[in-house]
Amino acid sequence: MNKTLFVVILFILAVVLSLLVGPAQLNNQILQLRISRAVLGIFAGGILAFCGGILQGLFGNPLVEPYTLGAASGAALGGSIGVLVFGTVSPFLAFLGASGVGFFVYTIARLEGGLFRDRLILAGVVMSFLCSSLVMIIMVMGGKELYEILYLLMGYLGIIINTTNRILIIFLIIISLATVIFLYRFHRELDIISQGMETAAGLGIDIQKFSLIIFFATSLIIGFTVSIVGAIGFVGLIIPHIARLLFGPKHLYNLPASFILGGTFLLLADTLSRIITVYELPVGVVTSLIGVPFFIYLYKK
Amino acid sequence: MRCIRAIILFLITINLFNCSKKNNTKSLRIVSLSPAMTEIIFALGGEHYLVGTTTFCTYPEAAKKTYKVGDFSHPSLERILAQKPSLVVVNPPEQNHIIRELKKLKIPLFISQPRCIEDIYKEISEIGHIIKKEDQADSLVNFMKNNLKPIKKDKIKTVYVELSSRPLITVGQKSFLNELISLTGGKNIFTDIKKAYPIVTQEEIIRRNPDIVILLHPGNIKDRLGWQKLEAVKRKQVYKNLNPDILLRPGPRLVQGYNKLKKILSE
Amino acid sequence: MKRAIELKKVCFAYDKKEVIKDISLILRDKEFIGIIGPNGAGKSTLLKLLCGILKPRIGKVFIYEEELQNMNQKEIARTIGFVPQETHFALNFSISDIVSMGRFPYLNPFQKLSAEDKEAIEKALVQASITEYRNRPINSLSSGERQRVVIARALAQKPKILLLDEPTSHLDLHHQYRIMELLRKLNTEGITIVIVNHDLNLASLFCNRLFLLKTGKIWATGTAREIINVKTLKAVYGITVQVINHPQTGVPQIILPSKEQ
Repeated sequence: MNKTLFVVILFILAVVLSLLVGPAQLNNQILQLRISRAVLGIFAGGILAFCGGILQGLFGNPLVEPYTLGAASGAALGGSIGVLVFGTVSPFLAFLGASGVGFFVYTIARLEGGLFRDRLILAGVVMSFLCSSLVMIIMVMGGKELYEILYLLMGYLGIIINTTNRILIIFLIIISLATVIFLYRFHRELDIISQGMETAAGLGIDIQKFSLIIFFATSLIIGFTVSIVGAIGFVGLIIPHIARLLFGPKHLYNLPASFILGGTFLLLADTLSRIITVYELPVGVVTSLIGVPFFIYLYKK
Repeated sequence: MRCIRAIILFLITINLFNCSKKNNTKSLRIVSLSPAMTEIIFALGGEHYLVGTTTFCTYPEAAKKTYKVGDFSHPSLERILAQKPSLVVVNPPEQNHIIRELKKLKIPLFISQPRCIEDIYKEISEIGHIIKKEDQADSLVNFMKNNLKPIKKDKIKTVYVELSSRPLITVGQKSFLNELISLTGGKNIFTDIKKAYPIVTQEEIIRRNPDIVILLHPGNIKDRLGWQKLEAVKRKQVYKNLNPDILLRPGPRLVQGYNKLKKILSE
Repeated sequence: MKRAIELKKVCFAYDKKEVIKDISLILRDKEFIGIIGPNGAGKSTLLKLLCGILKPRIGKVFIYEEELQNMNQKEIARTIGFVPQETHFALNFSISDIVSMGRFPYLNPFQKLSAEDKEAIEKALVQASITEYRNRPINSLSSGERQRVVIARALAQKPKILLLDEPTSHLDLHHQYRIMELLRKLNTEGITIVIVNHDLNLASLFCNRLFLLKTGKIWATGTAREIINVKTLKAVYGITVQVINHPQTGVPQIILPSKEQ
């Protein structure tokens, strides 16, 4: 219970810090800015870490992260096409790209025999490479569009939520949270599936159907996240490990912990990214800077 | 929920105190995210309106001492807002993401996006009008016009400009440098590429065999295979250690760049 | 005798490779069955067809007279426990966590363990004699002990039938024997046991009926005394062995020749 308290306090601390700390004097406008960042930070960090935890469980592979199945590069491709066509990154096309790649990955994975689950990873990696090279082509050919795509690839939380985009973002957050709760129902299946496919089948889990549900549900919300804040790295890979180190292998406990810790870490990292230097460091850089020492400390312990 | 609202209200009230103390009397507060526009504003004598610049705004010397809101491509939105600007000068496309957020906050923007030297004159006049320095703007434009006159030459020398060696990045049709080279009577070997800063191949450079090579990065071409037979190398027309800002920044210092190029082309 | 599992003209293929060719068989309640045969004969595939992990291309499977296709996976898991050849312990669960997973077919997503569940888990721990390990992490156990944990997990399913895929491979003599003894005990308590085994001597000693498979077909079926003989083994495995009778029980035991004859 101590650990739960620790995590909750850390979370509250991160929220308060992110609202109070920054280079500017707080006023109405600055507060709007910081609340936007805090909301997006909690949302994106939570979703990415949660999905990372689920996918690492499903694939029984600690190196899997939310972007392994191609969502990030798909969103980047969709976003880049949007830049070419409309001159600006549209979250809708980014999402379409992420889900489109998901569909291709699924189709490729179904083509040949063998275990569907393992081929998903391979298909995801292959599709990621394809999308990355297409994005590269667009970047090299396009020139000035490059910067928008760069931000989509690096991730950026500084999007202000105002009256024009508020409804969309709230809508996406609600759908994502509903999906998170839906996925959380499968915590027992994930525990079991980590011990192997045959074990899971023997205990009454329909592996193919289950993999498919997880794959599409996570692709959906990862696509949402990337389309709004870009492909923020690290959180989805390392936070699930930290959650397991703190709360053990049971997904009943470590999945919610991943969500909260992911949000906390991204918020802290974003706060730091605003104050360390005059310019804004990419938030993904800072997540690794504070996350890795913490991870090593826990691992040693 | 009520608790959250109370916290937010509390935060706002604290800060109302803070801002009431700092309320400035000057109405025009400019944050310039464009190094060239910073130079122009200084040249027009409007520097006291500048309340923020980027770390790239290093000319003139006094510009270094202005409040920095970030670097050219990662300015901090919060630092910009902290200066309560009445106008933000921005440079698309590098700053598109920040422009989008500034628009949401309904902050007036001066979008500096000159595509040719003529555009620079227009922008100088516009900013001169905004900071009430119309006369200075006129004289700066006239000074630049008089010093940036096209030169006709019998034999047109070809020029290769290299911005980076890995990959090889040069200047294409849509860059100022291309225009500056033709003004001074030379010809950019990649003037046919309809991009500002294209990536090119070694073979293409060797095939086009420039008379003059200008390196705008610290590297050199001595150890490059196949480059030794270039016309420029044979005639020792390889130039290094130039200040790239006078050639690439669409501001008053283009005149210096023009003079430098003129000298190189007449050697 | 009740029919525990019945296969009717079952064929199965991975992609285009046919592995099970038209097998029909009946396993009766409370039997101790051994499936033996050379590598690639389709033993493991047959075992997975018996519990619906694999679905037959052609033919039908019945479990206690009910057609398998009409049952959902969880229903099957409440009747049949399956112990796979390999279990991955990627995550370091405690023993009681792992055995509790056996209750999965009885639980809803956020349902807590009921008294009945806890009783089943406790009984499984006792049956597999691993009660003293319950709080230890799985990675601290030897492979022999781990196999008992996996069997306990299957027992927590309260199965009427227990299927095991090579439960004694990778184990030393002591653990091999103890696992087989455990299975015999479970069998006398009324659980139908089906094992796939390479060790013909163990199979002969413990099973009361054997299925000898070759290239996807049943070559022979019967008690060890009926089917384990020099002629059959020569035909199926391609080597000439010596068969002697076990000094205590008289079941056939195989002795490998010192040199190929």
